[in-house]
Amino acid sequence: MSDEPETPPMDRRRFLTVLGASTATAAAVSGCSTSRVEKLIPYLVQSEDQVPGIPTWYASTCTECDAGCGLHVKTREGRAIKLEGNPDHPVNRGKLCVQGQSALQGLYNPDRIKAPMVRNGSAWQEIKWDDAIARLAAKLGPAQGKVAVISGAGRGSFDDFLGEWTAASGGKMVRHAPHDLEAVRAANKQVFGVDALAAHDFGKARYIVSFGADFLESWGPSVENQRGFADAHGFHDGTMAKFVYVAPRASLTGLNADEFVAVKPGSETAFALALANAAGAAGLSQYTPEMAAQETGVPAETIRRIAKEFAAAKPSLAVAGGIGAQSAGAAELCAAVNLLNQAAGNIGQTVLFGADLQSGDGQAALDALAAGMDQGQFQVVLVHEANPVYTQPRSTGFAARFRKVPFKVSTAMVLDETAALCDLLLPTHHALERWDDARPRAGITGLMQPVMEPVFTTMATGDVLLKASQKAAGPLARFNAPSWEAYLKARWADIARARGSADADGFWRESLARGGVYDEPAAPAAVKVASAAVTYTKPAFEGDGEYTFLPHVTTFGDGRFTNRPWVLELSDPVTKITWTSWVEVSPAAAKRIDVREGEILRLTSPHGSIEVPAYIYAGLRDDVVSVPLGYGHTEYGRFAANRGANALDLLGPPKAGGFLPFVATRVRVERAGNAYSKVPKTEGVPRQLGRHIAEAMPLAAAAKGLSLEEWYKGIGEPLGEEHPPVEVEAIKGWRQMQVGRTEGHGRRLGNYAGDHPMWGMAIDLSRCTGCSACVTACYAENNIPWVGEDDVRKGREMTWMRIERYWEGGEADKPLEARFVPMLCQHCDNAPCEPVCPVYAAYHTVDGLNGQVYNRCVGTRYCGNNCPYKVRYFNWYKYNERAFPAPLNLQLNPDVTVRARGVMEKCTFCIQRIRGAQHTARLEDRELKDGEIVTACAQACPSDAIVFGNMKDGDSRVAKIKRDPRGYHVLEDVNTRPAVTYLAKVLHAGSGQRAEG
Amino acid sequence: MATVLRSKIEPVMTQTHAEVTRDIVRTLETPPRSYYLAVFGAVFLLLIGIVTFTIIIKDGLGHSGYNPPVMWSVYITTFVFWVGIGHAGTLISAILFLFRSPWRTAVYRVTEAMTVFAVMTAGLFPIIHIGRQWIFYWLLPYPNQRYLWPNFKSPLLWDVFAISTYLTVSTTFLIFGLIPDVAAVRDKVTGWRRFIYGQLSMGWQGTDNQWRHYSRAYLYLAALATPLVLSVHSVVSWDFASSIIPGWHGTIFAPYFVAGAIYSGVGMVFTLLIPLRKHLRLEHMITDYHFDNLSKLTLLTGSILFYSYSMEYFVSWYSGNTFEQTTFFLRPFGAQWWSGWTMITCNALVSQLLWFRKIRTNLTSLFVISIFINIGMWFERWVIIVSSLSNDYVPWAWGVLNPTWSDWGILAGSFGWFGMWFLLFARSFPIVAIQEVKEMIPMPRLHPDAHGGH
Repeated sequence: MSDEPETPPMDRRRFLTVLGASTATAAAVSGCSTSRVEKLIPYLVQSEDQVPGIPTWYASTCTECDAGCGLHVKTREGRAIKLEGNPDHPVNRGKLCVQGQSALQGLYNPDRIKAPMVRNGSAWQEIKWDDAIARLAAKLGPAQGKVAVISGAGRGSFDDFLGEWTAASGGKMVRHAPHDLEAVRAANKQVFGVDALAAHDFGKARYIVSFGADFLESWGPSVENQRGFADAHGFHDGTMAKFVYVAPRASLTGLNADEFVAVKPGSETAFALALANAAGAAGLSQYTPEMAAQETGVPAETIRRIAKEFAAAKPSLAVAGGIGAQSAGAAELCAAVNLLNQAAGNIGQTVLFGADLQSGDGQAALDALAAGMDQGQFQVVLVHEANPVYTQPRSTGFAARFRKVPFKVSTAMVLDETAALCDLLLPTHHALERWDDARPRAGITGLMQPVMEPVFTTMATGDVLLKASQKAAGPLARFNAPSWEAYLKARWADIARARGSADADGFWRESLARGGVYDEPAAPAAVKVASAAVTYTKPAFEGDGEYTFLPHVTTFGDGRFTNRPWVLELSDPVTKITWTSWVEVSPAAAKRIDVREGEILRLTSPHGSIEVPAYIYAGLRDDVVSVPLGYGHTEYGRFAANRGANALDLLGPPKAGGFLPFVATRVRVERAGNAYSKVPKTEGVPRQLGRHIAEAMPLAAAAKGLSLEEWYKGIGEPLGEEHPPVEVEAIKGWRQMQVGRTEGHGRRLGNYAGDHPMWGMAIDLSRCTGCSACVTACYAENNIPWVGEDDVRKGREMTWMRIERYWEGGEADKPLEARFVPMLCQHCDNAPCEPVCPVYAAYHTVDGLNGQVYNRCVGTRYCGNNCPYKVRYFNWYKYNERAFPAPLNLQLNPDVTVRARGVMEKCTFCIQRIRGAQHTARLEDRELKDGEIVTACAQACPSDAIVFGNMKDGDSRVAKIKRDPRGYHVLEDVNTRPAVTYLAKVLHAGSGQRAEG
Repeated sequence: MATVLRSKIEPVMTQTHAEVTRDIVRTLETPPRSYYLAVFGAVFLLLIGIVTFTIIIKDGLGHSGYNPPVMWSVYITTFVFWVGIGHAGTLISAILFLFRSPWRTAVYRVTEAMTVFAVMTAGLFPIIHIGRQWIFYWLLPYPNQRYLWPNFKSPLLWDVFAISTYLTVSTTFLIFGLIPDVAAVRDKVTGWRRFIYGQLSMGWQGTDNQWRHYSRAYLYLAALATPLVLSVHSVVSWDFASSIIPGWHGTIFAPYFVAGAIYSGVGMVFTLLIPLRKHLRLEHMITDYHFDNLSKLTLLTGSILFYSYSMEYFVSWYSGNTFEQTTFFLRPFGAQWWSGWTMITCNALVSQLLWFRKIRTNLTSLFVISIFINIGMWFERWVIIVSSLSNDYVPWAWGVLNPTWSDWGILAGSFGWFGMWFLLFARSFPIVAIQEVKEMIPMPRLHPDAHGGH
C-alpha cells in the first residue's frame, strides 16, 4: 500500500528469532519425536528456549523452489507449526508463497518414508541406518568411476559437497531442475555471452511486457516478482505501470495484465522482434509490425501501439520464457526479448545481470547421463531431491534407462516414481530438520537449522555420504568430517575468514539468527551484446491434431507439491479447480467439440493420450488446449498417486542437446463417450451480476482522486441501489436511530462504550494478484481442515479466506478481465449472523469482532444462511479427524481450537494473534503499537495488499487507507457495516483488451 | 338446527345413539390383515429413518446433500411441511367449533389426531437437522449454573416455544375431547382393555354436572387453541422472514404461511380420511357433505396462496432490488425450475379445480388432488428454503443442492413415524367423535319430515 509503515512490525518476532537461533543447538535435543517417545515427561530442568505456550522462532531458508526465500519458523513445544517469510531476507522480505508455506505438510507428510529401506523383491524391508550405510558403502567401493548422481538440490554447501564427492568417486553429477529457465539462460549466453540468469526489478518498471513468462507463479522468484509487480502496477500517487501479457493463454500473470494479447503459440518471437525493431535494435528491419501481425495473428496496429507505449515508458521491462512459452523456438524468443530490453535501455535498470539466479544443469546433461545409464556406464546411481522418472516425459524413455543401473539409491522423503524403481532408500531429513545452507543468487547465502527433532528415523544425506565415504574408503576417504554439521560449520568458518571476521563462532551465530548472509546486491554487471543475430523460426508442431497442446504450471510446480492437501485443496488461482486436473478449452472450441464443463475429453498426441474433464476458459486461444502440470503421479503418497492425468504424457522427447520443449505438439481432442465428472471447483457463478462486489475504476478517475461514488455518478450509473432523496433521508435517520437508541446504555451497534480498539482491515484490489498465499496462510494458522474432492464438489470447502475471481467481459467484442476479491468474514458491526443464533455462539466482542464460540455452537447453521457474504463454514463431517492424519496433526496451532464436526466456523481476524499481542503489551506495561498485530493473511500477502489494525486510531495505517477515495464496502446496501474496506482496482483505459486473429 | 343453512347434500343422521356407538366401537375391534400390513409399512419406513439418523449421528450431517450456501434443505423443508399439516386439525376442531360449524363433527377427531402426530413429527426435525444433536436442549431456557441463556432475539428460539406450546395445547385438546368417547368404549369392552380405557376416561360417568363442566372446558380450550392456529405458523414463517435472504425477507410471510399450512393440512386430511373412511366402513358418517365443505376450505386457502405467490413476484419486481429480482427470476427459470413450477401447479392451479362441485364431491378426484397438494406444499417449502439460499447475495458462493439417500431416508422415516402413530390411534380410539355425532342426531319427532330440508 502507499502508506509504508515506518518501522517493520516485526520487533518482537525478530527478538524471539535471535533468542531462538542463539540457542539453536539446544533445539536439536528439545521436542519429542512420535517414533520414539512413549511417555509424557514434564520438564525437570526447563530448556532455555522452550517455554510451554510461548512460540520460539527460528530463521531458516525455504528450499521448495529455486528462489531461496528466507523463513521464520514458528515452533511451539518443539514442533514447527507455521512458516513465515524472513523480513530481513532481500528476496522475499517477510512474505511467503503457497508452496513455501506448505513445506510444513512436506515435513509432516504421513507418506514420508519413515526409515531406510531396502528392496526385497517387490516389497520394501525396513533396515537400520548402519546397515543401510554399509550397503551403500559396499556398492560405492567397487563402483569407483561408475557413480551417477542426479540432484535437484539448489546451490549451497551441500551441492558443492555433492559435486566434490561425485568427482572424487569418479562419477558424474547432474543438477536436474525440471522447470529451469533454460531457454532464458541460453539466450543470455547467446546475446550477452553470460551463461546465467539475471534478476529483474519489476518494481521500477513503468511498462511491463511478458511473453508467456508467468512471473507471478512459476517464473523466477515469484514472491520477489510479485512484490515488485504490486509496487509498479498497484495504484499509488496517482499512477501505476501498465502491463501487457503476450501468450496463447492467460496464466494468473496474464489475468493481472491490463492487456492480454493472445498470439499464436510459438509466434511470440515475431512480436518481440517487432517491438525490438521499433525500439531501435539494429538489424531487425524485416520484423515490421505487419510481419509480426501475420505471424501472431494480432492486428498490426496493436503491435505498433504497444511498441510505441513500450518505448515511451522508461524504464520498462520485457520478460519471456517459462513453461507456457517453452516452444522449440523459446531461445529465440528470449534472445529477442534480450535485444528488446537492450534497445529500450533496460539492461542495468530493470534487468540486472550479475545476480546469477540458480538453475540446473539442463536437459542435455540429463539426457547424456541417461544415455550413459543406457550403455551401462554406471554401477550406482544416487538420486537426491529429484524425481526424473516423473518429471521426464514418458517418451524420453528415462525410466527404462534408469532401470538399467544395477544399484539405484534414492534419498527421497516420499516414495516417488523414481524412488519406487530404486534398490535402497535413504530418506533424508526435511530442510527444517537439518543443517544446511542455500546460495540462491550472488550475495545471498541462507542458513538452515534443525528447528525440531526429526519426525521420522531419517538422516541428512550429508551425514549418510560422509559415513558411507568412511566405510567405502578409497578416494572417498578424504571426506572425513565427523558429521555434516561439522562439515558445514567448517565451511562457514572459511566464509567468516574470507569476510575478515575474526570470531568465526560469533559470525556463525549471528548469521544463524539473521537467517544467513545477505550482502547488498553489487551494482549490476555490465553486459555487452555479443551477438545480435536473432532470427525467428516459424513454429513447427508435432502431430496432426487441430489444437496446439499447451501444458501450464499451476500451484503444483513440477509435481513436487501434489502430495500436500493444502495445495490440493487450494483452488487453482485461474480456474478455481481443486484436487484434480482438467483441460482448458476456449468457449468457441468447446462449441466446436460440443463439450460442456465436466465432460471428459480425450487428448491424443503422437506420444500418448490422456483423459481429463473439460473446463471452459475464455482466456485461451481457440486453437489451443491447456492442461496443468503436476498431476498424474503413479506414486508419491496417498494424496498424489493416481490423481488427475499427467500432461507430460503428450510430450515428445527433446531434440539432442536442447531443452525440453513443452509447447511442441498438436493434439486431437474428442469427447470420451458420454463420460462426465463434475469439476471440483470453488467457483459458483463467476459474474458479479451488477452487485458491486469487485469494484474497479479507470486510472484517469483514480488519478483525479475521485471516489468510487463520484465516479459512478459521473458515468450516470448508480453505485448500489438507487434511492430518491426522501428515502435517503429516511435510511439515514433510521441508521442514526439505531446507533443513537442505545447510547448511554453502553453499547452502540457493535461498538461498546469505552476505549476498546475497533479492529478493521483494508484490502487494496489494485495490489491483489489473486496468488492465494493468504489462503494457505489462513489454513496453516487456523487449523483449517481440507475437505477433499467430493466435498468441494458440494461447495463445502472451509476457506475462511477465499479469493473470488469474477470475470468481466470475455465475449467476442468485450475484452476479458479478471477481478480478484479476497473474501473473508467482514466482521460486520450490524452482523446478520449474530441475532439469529439461538444460543449466542455468534456474538459481538467489545473490540468489534464477530466472535464464534465453537463450544457453544449447536449447529443450526442459521448464521451461515443469514450471512450475505457467505463466509461461514460448517463442519459437515469429522474433518478434524480426517484432515490431519498423523503426523500432520503435529502442525496444528495450539492457540486455535480444532473444530469438531457439527459446528460453524469462520475467520476470526486471527484473534489468537490479537490477544497474544495484547497480552504481551500488557505484560510489558505499554500500549499496543500500530502494526504489531498482523493477521496471517496480511503477513503472507506478497503484494502487501492486506492491512489490519485499529480503526479507532486515526493515525493507524488501516484507518488512513480506509480514508482512501477508492474505498468501498461490499454489499453496502444491506447495512451490515463491514469492518473490511476494499480499495477499488484501477484500470488502464481499454484494460483487458484481447486481440486475436 | 338452522336448517336454512343446510347444504343440499347435508345428510340427516338416521341412526340411533346405540347404532352410532356400535358402528364406531366396531372400528376398535380386531383389525383385518391389511391394517397390520399398513402398520408394518409405517414401522419399516420409520426404521429407515432411524438407521439414517444413526449414521448421521455417527459421521455427521455431511451424508445429506447440503451444498453451501444451502445449509438448510430437506430436513427444514420437511419440518415446515409437518408443522403446516398440523394446522388443519386445530382449525377444524377449535375454530370451526367456535363458529358452530356442525359439519366438523364427523372429521375433527381425525384431524386433531393428525395435528398432534404431525407436530410430534415436526418437532423431531430441529433436533435431527442441527450439527450436534446431542446438545439440542441448549436451545431450551433451562436453569443452569453457568447462567447460559438462549438468545431470545433468535427466531429459532421463538420456534422452540411455538412448537412446544402447540404440541402441548393440541395434545391436551385431543385427550380432553376423547374423554366421553373413551368412556363409551370402556362400557363396551371387557378385560384389560376395559381397565385401560377406564383409566383414560378419568372417571367419566356422563352425569349432567360432568357434561356441564366438560362443555365449558372444551369451549375454553377451543378458544385457547384458536390463536395458535395463526401464531404458530406465523412464528415458523418468521424463521425466514426475519432473515435477510432475498426470497425469505418478506412481510407477507405470516399470512402466506398460515394459509399454506391450512391448505396443506386439509390436503392431508383428504389423504388420510378417504382411505380410512373406506377401511373403517364409516361412509354413512363421513359423507360427501363433509368433503364438500373441506374442499371449499381448500379452495379458499389455495386461492390465498395463489394470491401470495403472485404478490411475491410482484413485490420483488416492484422493489427494484436486484437481489430480490434475481431470486424470483431463478425460481421458475433457474437450475431448479422444476421445483418452482411444481409448487405453482400443485398449489395455485390444482386448487382451482375445486370450483367445480363434481370434483368436490368425487372422492377419487379429491384423493388425487390431495396428493398434488401434499407434493405441492412440500415443494413450496423446498422452493422457499433451497432455491432462495442457492442464490442470494454473493454469486461466487452460489450452489445447487442435490438431496441424497440420507435426506430421503429421514423424509421416509418421518412419514413412517407419523403413519405409525396415526394407524395405532385409528384402531385404538374412536376416530369419529361419538358424543358429537350423537348430538347431531335429530330429536325424535312425530313427523320426522316436517322440518326436513329436502
